[in-house]
Amino acid sequence: MPEIGPLGVANFTISEHNNISTMYLLPNKKISIYSAFGVLCLSGFLSSCSEDAEIKSYVIPNRHEGPVVTWMMPDGWGENPNLSGPLAGSFHVVTEAGPKGNIGVMPFREAVSSLDIANMFARELGYGPLGKDDLDQLIRTKKIGEREFEWIRMKEQLASENPRLVILALLRQDSETWLFPFIADQELARKEMNNYSDFLKSVVVRAGKKPIKAQTMAAASAPSALPKAYDAPQPTWETPDHWLAGKKSSMRVGSYSVEGSDGQSLDFSITTFPGDVGGLLANVNRWLEQVGLQKVDKEGLTEYLSPIKLDGKPAQLVVAENDEQSLYAAMYFGSESSWFIKIMGDSNLAKVEKNNFLNLLNTFCFHDH
Amino acid sequence: MNKDSQEQRSTKRSSKKNHPFALFSPLASVKLTLTLLSLSMILVFVATLEQVRIGIRGAQAEFFESFYGIWHYPEQFWGGSTLNPIPVPIPGGYLLGGLLIVNLVAAYLTRFKWTYKKMGIQIIHLGIILLLAGQMFTQVMQVESRMQINKGESVDYIERFHGVELVFEDVTDEKQSKVVTIPQALLEEGGVFRTPELPFKVRVKNFGPNCTFDFASAGKPVGEIVQGVNRGAGANGKLSVMPMDEDFSNEAQNYAYSTFELLKGTESLGTWFTLAHPAGNHWWPILDERLADLAFQPFRHDNRLWGMSLRHEREYLPFSIKLNGIENEFYQGTEIPFNFESDVDLKLENGQTRKALVYMNTPLRHAGKTFYQYQMNKAADYTVFQVIRNPSWLVPYIACILVSLGLLWQFSFHLLSFLRKNNAKAKVA
Repeated sequence: MPEIGPLGVANFTISEHNNISTMYLLPNKKISIYSAFGVLCLSGFLSSCSEDAEIKSYVIPNRHEGPVVTWMMPDGWGENPNLSGPLAGSFHVVTEAGPKGNIGVMPFREAVSSLDIANMFARELGYGPLGKDDLDQLIRTKKIGEREFEWIRMKEQLASENPRLVILALLRQDSETWLFPFIADQELARKEMNNYSDFLKSVVVRAGKKPIKAQTMAAASAPSALPKAYDAPQPTWETPDHWLAGKKSSMRVGSYSVEGSDGQSLDFSITTFPGDVGGLLANVNRWLEQVGLQKVDKEGLTEYLSPIKLDGKPAQLVVAENDEQSLYAAMYFGSESSWFIKIMGDSNLAKVEKNNFLNLLNTFCFHDH
Repeated sequence: MNKDSQEQRSTKRSSKKNHPFALFSPLASVKLTLTLLSLSMILVFVATLEQVRIGIRGAQAEFFESFYGIWHYPEQFWGGSTLNPIPVPIPGGYLLGGLLIVNLVAAYLTRFKWTYKKMGIQIIHLGIILLLAGQMFTQVMQVESRMQINKGESVDYIERFHGVELVFEDVTDEKQSKVVTIPQALLEEGGVFRTPELPFKVRVKNFGPNCTFDFASAGKPVGEIVQGVNRGAGANGKLSVMPMDEDFSNEAQNYAYSTFELLKGTESLGTWFTLAHPAGNHWWPILDERLADLAFQPFRHDNRLWGMSLRHEREYLPFSIKLNGIENEFYQGTEIPFNFESDVDLKLENGQTRKALVYMNTPLRHAGKTFYQYQMNKAADYTVFQVIRNPSWLVPYIACILVSLGLLWQFSFHLLSFLRKNNAKAKVA
């Protein structure tokens, strides 16, 4: 207890209570007791006045302005955690061979037509551009629970033992359209149809007070209207002059055709999808089938794959050549979306255009860094 | 003569001993008062110096809202390099203020005499005690918040300037939302939180009062905070986040962050990263669409849609304020504000509406809260009120009135005595 000289009467006492050093300024012993008592009372008062930290719960009027969609996920399904773009939900079927299939929940504006939505998926399944008459062949109305869904069923057009199936269930409610796509191979799709129906039955949807940010199809057809909400950057690339620009869609962001002198043709596309759309093996096998080659297992992949850099990012180059049909493609699986740059068609013409294709890959830029 | 004075002293002593509050007389020492006042001056001096280094809020917390503070002699002063490492304990505001109250109350009790001659002094002491006690109440009970209102819109909540909360809001029902909040004090402790109000457990993995963040890119480390985040706005290394010390300066823009995991039993439902914007989470979508989800990270569980965010602690009010218009005027040819005013409608709990004009030094008072004009943005058409809840706001006014009355009484009493004496002398002459 050191003395404080200049003040003459005071002593310094430093004591510790509960790890808090408290300093008292004390004229004499009696005062020390009173002061300590006074300070203790004061600290007790101060601490009793502060609010205790606790978890609080209360109810307020709902001011959420976005759309509301909820569901019960069937047993045997898993949730894909990485949602991107307009996807409100994304699921897969849990199988012994790992996650398979893809089920999504996508809100759209009323403006979107069934034909536009069908065309989003049709080209990847080998359909040409669908017209109204084509759609009439594919669409029907299906009642699930108390609600009616527009039901579009499309099957992969190329010969395959187990072709891919795309089922597009569209629910139009209030001022919005809700799309629930189910993409899987035919066998899995059939097996999971009850679960898919139960899932659709459980879905609760409510339109938002603000318009949904998802692009309408009309807007998406413009090259600059790559769905913003996909959080994908606007990539650029350079094409040879003789490549003819074709029609784009929300997911087919680049589209060209190449005509040979003898009437051969190649189809070039740059497509982007949320998630990994089945992953490397599934996509390579689908393409191998399209050019008439046998599917491969994981070990067999190396025969067709070679690592490349796409705008500095690690990607895979697929070279699948057959006598009649060939395919060259680059695949990049990003954190949120996958990119496929692909040219496919007549083998002879493909060999001629191979260098142009590889040059295009060198000019491809994501513009995200 | 000596005998008389001895008798007087012993009479004084015995009267002191017989005083009902004689026990407290050592505490009533004037020397103690002077010591405390001297120390208060040192405290104010040191805190003013430290304000330059740690800002007003930092100095206030370190020296005034504490029992003691530790001061280091400034390095840039003479001999600073030698003296700076030595920690100097400084008695804090709570300690000095508390002891001053004890000292004053003791003086009041032990020397209290209800005579006309002393009444002024008693009233002055009472006023000062009230002033000190009122300041203590204010320190403990005053809450500062802000309310931002866009033109034409109504707002019925305020947000604290300091202190955040992790919010889970079930927006599934059309009319009502259920809100569950975990306050900053619990987030700082970390651990697993379980409440019957939530259908899942919340494990807080990380919390910090401030950070710096950017979109992740090649060569930029994402940092430990967002590692392991697999859901929502900060998933898969999208953001690079680095912790920072809390900034106590006046211009501070602290971005509090938290990483948390949701659990169903022992099964992990995902790990999220969340960030609180210092001016309110409604700024995220305005700043960058990629950050929009930080204001409301959706999570669906058992057919319910939950929105999650970290935001400044919010208090909902039973009334609302609608902003009709704003005006800001500057001194001609300068950017010095002359007047900021907000034309508002106060929509009361009973459905009635009251019109009010809030401008500099003319706040709106309602339901124990005072709404001061704080900020304004004419271009973006919004106003910000500083909202103070201070239950003891009247105490300083009452204290000042008491001190003034006491002084008036005391001076008047002496003046009258003096005049009487003068008159008496004049008559004798």
